Amino acid sequence: MLDAVTLSKKHRSPAAKKDEVQTKYWKPWRLTWNVLSLVTVAAAYFENVTVHSQELVNNGAYKGFLAAYFGYLLIVYGIGSVTKGKIRLYSGHFAQLNALLGVVLIGQDLLTEKFAMIKLPFFVSFAQILDQIKTDQKLLIASTWSSLGLWLVSFIVGTLIGVVLGLYMGRYRQFNYWSFPFLKVIGIIPAAAWMPLTMVIFPTSYLAEIFLIAFAVWFPVAFMTIGGVQSISSDYFESARTLGFSEFQIMRKVVIPGALPNIFIGIFTAMGLSFTMLVISEMIGAKVGLGWYINWAKGVGNYTQVYAAIVIMAILFSVIFSFLNKLQEYALRWRKSSKV
Amino acid sequence: MVQLTIQNVNRILHDNNGERINVLEDINLSVGSGEFISIIGPSGCGKTTLLRLISGLDQPETGKVTVDDQLVTRPDASRGYVFQHGSLFPWETIRDNISAGLKAVHGRHYDRNLVAHYIELMGLKGFEKAYPHQVSGGMAQRAALARSIIMNPELLLLDEPMGALDAFTRADVQDVIHRVWKQTQTTMVLVTHDIDEAIYLGTRIVVMTPRPGRIKEVVTNPLTFPRDRTSDQFLEFRRAIQDKLNFGKKPISETI
Ligand SMILES: Nc1ncnc2c1ncn2[C@@H]1O[C@H](COP(=O)(O)OP(=O)(O)OP(=O)(O)O)[C@@H](O)[C@H]1O
Ligand SMILES: [Mg+2]
Repeated sequence: MLDAVTLSKKHRSPAAKKDEVQTKYWKPWRLTWNVLSLVTVAAAYFENVTVHSQELVNNGAYKGFLAAYFGYLLIVYGIGSVTKGKIRLYSGHFAQLNALLGVVLIGQDLLTEKFAMIKLPFFVSFAQILDQIKTDQKLLIASTWSSLGLWLVSFIVGTLIGVVLGLYMGRYRQFNYWSFPFLKVIGIIPAAAWMPLTMVIFPTSYLAEIFLIAFAVWFPVAFMTIGGVQSISSDYFESARTLGFSEFQIMRKVVIPGALPNIFIGIFTAMGLSFTMLVISEMIGAKVGLGWYINWAKGVGNYTQVYAAIVIMAILFSVIFSFLNKLQEYALRWRKSSKV
Repeated sequence: MVQLTIQNVNRILHDNNGERINVLEDINLSVGSGEFISIIGPSGCGKTTLLRLISGLDQPETGKVTVDDQLVTRPDASRGYVFQHGSLFPWETIRDNISAGLKAVHGRHYDRNLVAHYIELMGLKGFEKAYPHQVSGGMAQRAALARSIIMNPELLLLDEPMGALDAFTRADVQDVIHRVWKQTQTTMVLVTHDIDEAIYLGTRIVVMTPRPGRIKEVVTNPLTFPRDRTSDQFLEFRRAIQDKLNFGKKPISETI
């Protein structure tokens, strides 16, 4: 009935989705790079097997890792070279990085365990780290779960407090007037400064740790949320009122979604701080967790264990980061994508 | 039945330097049930300001606005408002935007068929799940229209709902508004820059002058429905209105 041209113009199609993938994986697929990355990873394996080692290392885990890595590349490139879909774009995009990683693996192996140019105990090869992880796997898994649990509880508590405070302070001037000075003064104090006090005040060290991490989180979240609420165009409030929204509905349907982009900025700022506080508070107070594990390893002088914990943290925190990223992508799917 | 009365209304605002501006001066207007009032006047003469007073978003400094003898003190779902810069919620889909008011008033058990009906009527079928930034300006404006009309208000205030549209889409949306007005008997007040549009839709035409914003004249539209934009009577009436707006006599730069 109405304009057929505009009807079909801007609606998101599967093609638009493909464009998004194309801008994300923009490096073109090249056979040379794909082959080269397979070669460097294979070379890393042969280098490890053939070059004589100066240090006593069990390379089993490392070789297993290299074999798995090689197999993964082979499968991805295999599919990428015969199909046209997302996997091809993905494998083409990361081929150069994979090739570099192969070279880096060879380099670190030669520098440490093979020629001992940088030495134990402070510098260890990746092979040793992997072996350590394998040896300590039970303890490390338990520590990882414990750290993840502590982080999750504290982060959720801190975020909720920050969001609720931020929403009310952003929305209600009177409330903002009375509470903002407190927010400013209390929020600016680094959470770590409270550490000695919390250890005494809280009945258990677990509660003290939750407090410290949540404390690192609430301030950036609250601060960004306030700004987010205040930046919502008055048009949306006014149309809500003319449509008969109650105050509660305005909060739920206008204030929260409107502030959400800023809330996520706050959450990502808080995320880094929360990781820092997690490790620090576990080092000081806890008897479990990755922070505790590092501290314990330092005590016995086993730096390979320190590296092992660092590798696990790198993985754990990246997973959390990607999860939050996905959550943001979903929650803000209504936004115009800002990708170029 | 609805009776809107505007009595001796003045709206005084202050500019950035604190200078007093009489945005509206001594506005008197009485609108009866089922009327379609077109308010026309140059940019900045206070049309939006007047509409906001009727809706209850703002209060006049002096004078009063009443609907059925009730003083208007705040916005209400019974007075629909379609904003000049169609303010759909960008975080809700077209369907959720259209049903937003229904959900707010009737809760979870709102009339889903009604929503489907308006999606169809506004030519938004197939775009229910799209977000506002994914549809054209014309579609967004029709969705904003649907969102207000679906509430079945006794009074519908339209602030240049077609201002941002091209000529073809504009004519389509005008016809939709006209059809809804005939079917629902809703009293409508339309603000527009466009003389053709004012005449095509309005039963009475309110001509405003700027600085201070005053009602210069209220003209009853002699044309019967259906109206033909190219008929002699239409063009003759158009000329009469144009004369009242002083177009052609004053350069445009002075009126803005
Ligand atoms: N909040 C405000 N504070 C100060 N002055 C204002 C404010 N809102 C509007 N004005 C002034 O009031 C006058 C009328 O504004 P209004 O928006 O009602 O005009 P309008 O007739 O709707 O114009 P347009 O056709 O361009 O939308 C303008 O001169 C404007 O500068
Ligand atoms: Mg206006």
